[in-house]
Amino acid sequence: MTTATLAPSPLDGIRLNFRGVIRSEWIKLRSLRSTVWCYGLVIVLTVGIGLLLALTVNLPAGATPSAANQYQLQVEAATLGVNFTQLIVAVLGVLVISGEYGTGMIRSTFVAVPGRLGAVFAKVIVLAVTTFVVGAVSIALAAAVAWPILSGKGITASPLESSVLLPMLGGAGYLTLIAVLAFGFGSILRNSAGGIATILGLVLVVPTVFRILFGLTQATWTTNVADFLPSSAGGKMFEYVDGTTATQAADQAAKAGLVYLDSWQGALVLAAWVVVTLAAGLVLTKRRDT
Amino acid sequence: MIEIEHLSKRYGSKLAVDDVSFTVRPGIVTGFLGPNGAGKSTTMRMIVGLDRPTTGRAHIDGKPYAEHAAPLHRVGALLEAKAVHTGRTAYNHLLALAATHSIPKTRVHEVIEMTGLGAVAGKRVGGFSLGMGQRLGIAAALLGDPQTLILDEPVNGLDPEGVRWVREFTRYLAGQGRTVFLSSHLMSEMAQTADHVVVLGRGRILADAPIGDIIAGATRQLVHVRTPQAQTLIERIAGPDVTVTTTDAGLLEVSGIGAPQIGELAAQAGITLHELTPVGASLEEAYLELTQDDVEYRSEVAR
Repeated sequence: MTTATLAPSPLDGIRLNFRGVIRSEWIKLRSLRSTVWCYGLVIVLTVGIGLLLALTVNLPAGATPSAANQYQLQVEAATLGVNFTQLIVAVLGVLVISGEYGTGMIRSTFVAVPGRLGAVFAKVIVLAVTTFVVGAVSIALAAAVAWPILSGKGITASPLESSVLLPMLGGAGYLTLIAVLAFGFGSILRNSAGGIATILGLVLVVPTVFRILFGLTQATWTTNVADFLPSSAGGKMFEYVDGTTATQAADQAAKAGLVYLDSWQGALVLAAWVVVTLAAGLVLTKRRDT
Repeated sequence: MIEIEHLSKRYGSKLAVDDVSFTVRPGIVTGFLGPNGAGKSTTMRMIVGLDRPTTGRAHIDGKPYAEHAAPLHRVGALLEAKAVHTGRTAYNHLLALAATHSIPKTRVHEVIEMTGLGAVAGKRVGGFSLGMGQRLGIAAALLGDPQTLILDEPVNGLDPEGVRWVREFTRYLAGQGRTVFLSSHLMSEMAQTADHVVVLGRGRILADAPIGDIIAGATRQLVHVRTPQAQTLIERIAGPDVTVTTTDAGLLEVSGIGAPQIGELAAQAGITLHELTPVGASLEEAYLELTQDDVEYRSEVAR
């Protein structure tokens, strides 16, 4: 049999490459309305809530709050919104992957990137970087809006302190980890409704269940387990702590037989959740028929 | 070139593809024919690695699809209309796929022009008709200027003009020396497009031959005969290969002997014939005959 030879094509030199796959995932992320809406809402909510908090702060006339209290207010004004925007990035994190399974797009993706894992890693990188940047910008904007108002109310301590700036960065890091955790559940369940229910349940409902359990039983284990949930452990990332109160809190917790996580430990616990969930998602993605 | 060796796929207790082996050669259009549920789509998905074979293997130009350095340049696949995110525009969909292989934007515009999507490229895919979705799927398959094209039911949902376009375009691509493998559940479609046909029924290969052989091989020569002296005629034409079916209306359906011989035998015996009509089985009948025992979903009424 003679094989007909093809005329050379201008595309003969092309290669599947990871930079290209990252670019592809960036095009996909930015070309969906849901992405633009979600990230827009993150910025609006964070700034709005920071503004609201700054406006409603009411100090007794003539009172001068301690430096620690001032820092705490500044951190709260910048990061209070994270408690709400985490729900938005969680939904987005699920949709980034479940939307592809729901529409059949995933087949086009995996035909273009048949190794699959490259496409999933690229998605995670694009989602994480975008969420971190949007989170950091929204928190910085909230701070920029809130601080002039706060300083007008006598909260004049300079906020350019690592104890203030680190929790702000931590807020952006927390949003990023929650988005990737949600992505992990989305890649395991391949279904928008199931993925969103799981991540919101884990972030919102499960901590409440433990709180009720503690209320009923007063058992310390309920609190100790609850401290390792993603939202509780990760919540430490954007909390203001000063050295002395942190030591006191750790001592008290130790006496009561409770676990105390500082912000770095909290971040590590949340990161562990992310790694385990994502690893399960990757293994299933590689093995399953699509 | 697609080489399939002993490929099987089991879903639970159901064997969707059962020990299938065949080769799809470059330079011709190879049709993949079979009733719905025969395992055509599953086979095609296994070729590009979306489904994992239970046993056997599928190689493209000597190795598995996933091991090629530029998969989209090797194979273009239309596996399903609308394997596309409905919220994205056609242009962005193609742009994202092209980016994986660093395929330039000019090529994206080229395939949009080729498939006639220019007017709708900026619209979100959710609002596309089946036909436009199909054209977008074909555009995506062409992005990497692939040597092999795998098209699952490419004319599904296309208007007559689109059907003709696919037919001519696939023949043109094969003429350039490319490997073209397309599936259909319609024999008539295959007859006008394919040079070679692989017929699948219930996951097994029923035929793998040039289109001409399939038609000739499966076509029984049938002759309709009407005569007042039926019994005499039947005795005269009797032979080892000859079968005669009598119907209520006095019509004899004779196979295994040609109309000229029947006429001559009748003349010798002085038998009056009222009708002598050779009836060639149609392509569609040939196909139905080939697959009649292997149809997964049969409508009771149609029988």
